[in-house]
Amino acid sequence: MIPKMSRVPDEQHDSSSAPLVHETRPNIAASVKGISKSFKKTRVLEDVTFDVAEGESLVLLGPSGSGKTTVLRIIAGLEQPYTGRVILHGKDVTELPARERGVGVIFQSYALFPRMTVERNIAFGLKIRGRPWKERKETLNRLLKLVQLEEHRKKYPWQLSGGQQQRVAIARTLAYKPQVLLFDEPFGALDAQTRVHLRREIRALLRQVKVPSVFITHDQEEALELGDRIAVLNNGHLEQIGTPDEVYNHPQTEFVATFLGAANLLLGVVTLGAIEIGTARVPATEETRKFRDGQSVKVVFRPEDVTLSKDAKLPGACRRLANGIIEEINFVGAYERLNVRLDLTQRQPAQNQPPLYEVTINTLERMTGIPIIATRPKPEASASKFNVGDRVAVGLTAFSVLPNYTLVGGRVNRALEINR
Amino acid sequence: MRHVRGFDVARPISISVMIGIMLPLVLLPLLSIFIYGTSKGLGTFWSSLAAPEAIFALKLSLITSFWATVFNVIFGLFAAYVLSRYEFWGRNAVIVTISLPTAIPTAVAGFALLLLWGPYGTLGRLLNPQNAQLMFTPYAIILANIFVTFPLAFGVIKPVFDTMSRSLEEAAATIGATRWQTFWHVTLPSLRGAIFSGALLTFARAVGEFGSTILVSGNLAGRTQTAPLYIFAKFNEGQIEAANAIAIVLALLSFVIFSVLFFARDWLEFETQEV
Repeated sequence: MIPKMSRVPDEQHDSSSAPLVHETRPNIAASVKGISKSFKKTRVLEDVTFDVAEGESLVLLGPSGSGKTTVLRIIAGLEQPYTGRVILHGKDVTELPARERGVGVIFQSYALFPRMTVERNIAFGLKIRGRPWKERKETLNRLLKLVQLEEHRKKYPWQLSGGQQQRVAIARTLAYKPQVLLFDEPFGALDAQTRVHLRREIRALLRQVKVPSVFITHDQEEALELGDRIAVLNNGHLEQIGTPDEVYNHPQTEFVATFLGAANLLLGVVTLGAIEIGTARVPATEETRKFRDGQSVKVVFRPEDVTLSKDAKLPGACRRLANGIIEEINFVGAYERLNVRLDLTQRQPAQNQPPLYEVTINTLERMTGIPIIATRPKPEASASKFNVGDRVAVGLTAFSVLPNYTLVGGRVNRALEINR
Repeated sequence: MRHVRGFDVARPISISVMIGIMLPLVLLPLLSIFIYGTSKGLGTFWSSLAAPEAIFALKLSLITSFWATVFNVIFGLFAAYVLSRYEFWGRNAVIVTISLPTAIPTAVAGFALLLLWGPYGTLGRLLNPQNAQLMFTPYAIILANIFVTFPLAFGVIKPVFDTMSRSLEEAAATIGATRWQTFWHVTLPSLRGAIFSGALLTFARAVGEFGSTILVSGNLAGRTQTAPLYIFAKFNEGQIEAANAIAIVLALLSFVIFSVLFFARDWLEFETQEV
C-alpha cells in the first residue's frame, strides 16, 4: 500500500503517518492520530490522538466549543482534518468520503428521513447497497426486535417519541454493520428523566451488539455512566484519557479535576515527601514522587474524600490536613454538604532561615483561613451530627497532586480556588 | 337593553366594507364574464368554444405553459440547490438576476426576446442561414413564458432548501448513499410540496401571459395564437361571445389552480415542518 500524504503536509506527522497503519494492534477498532483542525484562523483541534478498542465505548467529554463535535465529524468523514489520520480497523480512511467509511452516526436531532416509515428508514442502508429483498427483510426484522419497535414499524418518525426515534436511528446504522458508532450529544434533546432511562437502555444495547462507539457529551454524569473510558477535551486539546475511575479520582490536570464534578483546590509546596499547605503539612510520599522539593503544586480533592471528625481522631486510612470550623450545612438530597473553613494561614519562615518558597495568600483568607467543601453520605451524617460552628479535624482519604505551572518563580496572587 | 357579551359592532361593518370595496374591483368583473357567457344560452357558449381556432388557442396555451413549467421547475430546483449549498463570489448577484424577470414589464421581456432571437437579432441571425426561425413559432411562446415565470418556482423552492437541516443529507452520506441517491431518496421527497406549488404558480402565470407572447408569437390564428391572444383578437373583431367563452375557461382554470394551492396549504406546511 502506498502511504498517502496528509492533505496539508505537516512535518510533525508526515513521517509517522505511514507506519502507524501497520503498528495498529488488531483489537483497536478506530484510532485518531494527531488530528488538528482550524476554522478560518481559529484552532479548534490541536494534535488529538486516541484509540477506541473493539466493543469499547469511549466518551468525548468537554464544554461546548472544546472541539468534541469536530472530532466526531472528522471520524465520520463529514469534516476533513488539516493534519493527522483517521484509522478504522487498521485501514487509513482519512481520504475516504463519509459514505465509504461505514461508520454510523446518531445525530443529536436523529436525522430520521421524514418521508420514510420506521421500516424504510432502517432498511435504507441496505436498499442503497442493492441487497436482496430477503436479506433486507431478515435484517429489518432482527433489528426491529433488537430495538423493540416491532409494533411501530409502519409509523413515520413524527409519530414516535424522542426515545423511539433514537432507537430507529441506532437500528438504521446497525443495519449496515458499521465499523464504529458515533453518538453526537445523543440525549441533548431529551428531558432529564428520559435521559437517564435512555442511556441505560443504550448501554445495554451496545453490550449486546458489541460495536465500538464514541459518545459526545458535556454532561459529566452521562460520561461516567456511559464510558468504558473518558477522553476529556478542553479548547481543542485532549487533557486526559482514562477509565471513569482514573479521570475522576486521579485527574491529571486542573481542568479535568474541576470539569468532572466538584473539586477543592489548594496550593502547596513539596517538601521531603510531604506537601506544605500554608501551616499544614500533609504526608504524601506516593503522590509527590514525581516532584522535586520546593516545587509548587496544586492539591486537588473531591468533597466526598474529605473526612471530618469532632474529636481529634481521624480514621487510619485518611491523612490529616488541618482543623477547621463548620460554617454551613446543607442537605442536598442523597448527601449532606458542609462548608468548612480550614485554620490554614500563611506559614511564616523560621527565624534566620531563608524562606523555602514564596507563596502568599493575598486574599481575605490570609486572615480567616481557607474554605473547602465536604460532603457526607446520609448514614454518616445521621450517625454523627454536626452543627454550624463546630470545630472539626479535617482529613483526606484521597487527593491528587498536580504541578502548579502558574507559580514559576515569584508570587502568586491566586492562592486558592474552589470549584463547586 | 342588555349588552351582548363579545359582540363587536366593528366586525360586521368592517367585513361589509371590505367586500363592498372588492365588489366593483374584482368580484363583479369576474361575475360579468359568467353572466354574459351564459346570457345567450349554453349552446352559444359551447359552439364558440368548439371553434377550431378556439380549441387550438387553448391547447397551445396549455402546451407551451406546460413546457415552460417543466423547464422552470427543473432549473429552479437545480439553481436553488446550487445557491443554497455552495458559497461563491457573486452568489447574491445570481439570486437577484434570477428574481429580476418579476420586475420587468412583460412587453419589455417580449421585445428583448425579439431583439435577441428575431430574424436580425444577435442570435437569430445565426439561425437564419439554416432557414430556421425561432420567433413567431410556438417555441417563441415557450421562451417568453420561461422568461416571465423564471423566478416563480425558484422562489418557492429556495427557502425550503435553506431551512432544510443539513444533518438529513449528512445522515444519508454516512449511511452510504451517493450524492444522487441522497438527492433522490432524501432531499427530493422533502421538497415535494414546494415543487408542487412552484409548478402550479408557474403554470397559472404562464397560461395567462399576454404582453410578451403577443410580441414574440406574431399572433397568427391557428398557428401561434394562445388563449389570451385569442380573447384579444376576437374582441377586436367584435366577436364578444367567442372571446367570452375562452375567458370563462381561463378564469375557471386559474380558479381551480388557486383553490388547490390554497387548500393544499396544510399539506404543504406539513411537508416543510418536517425538514
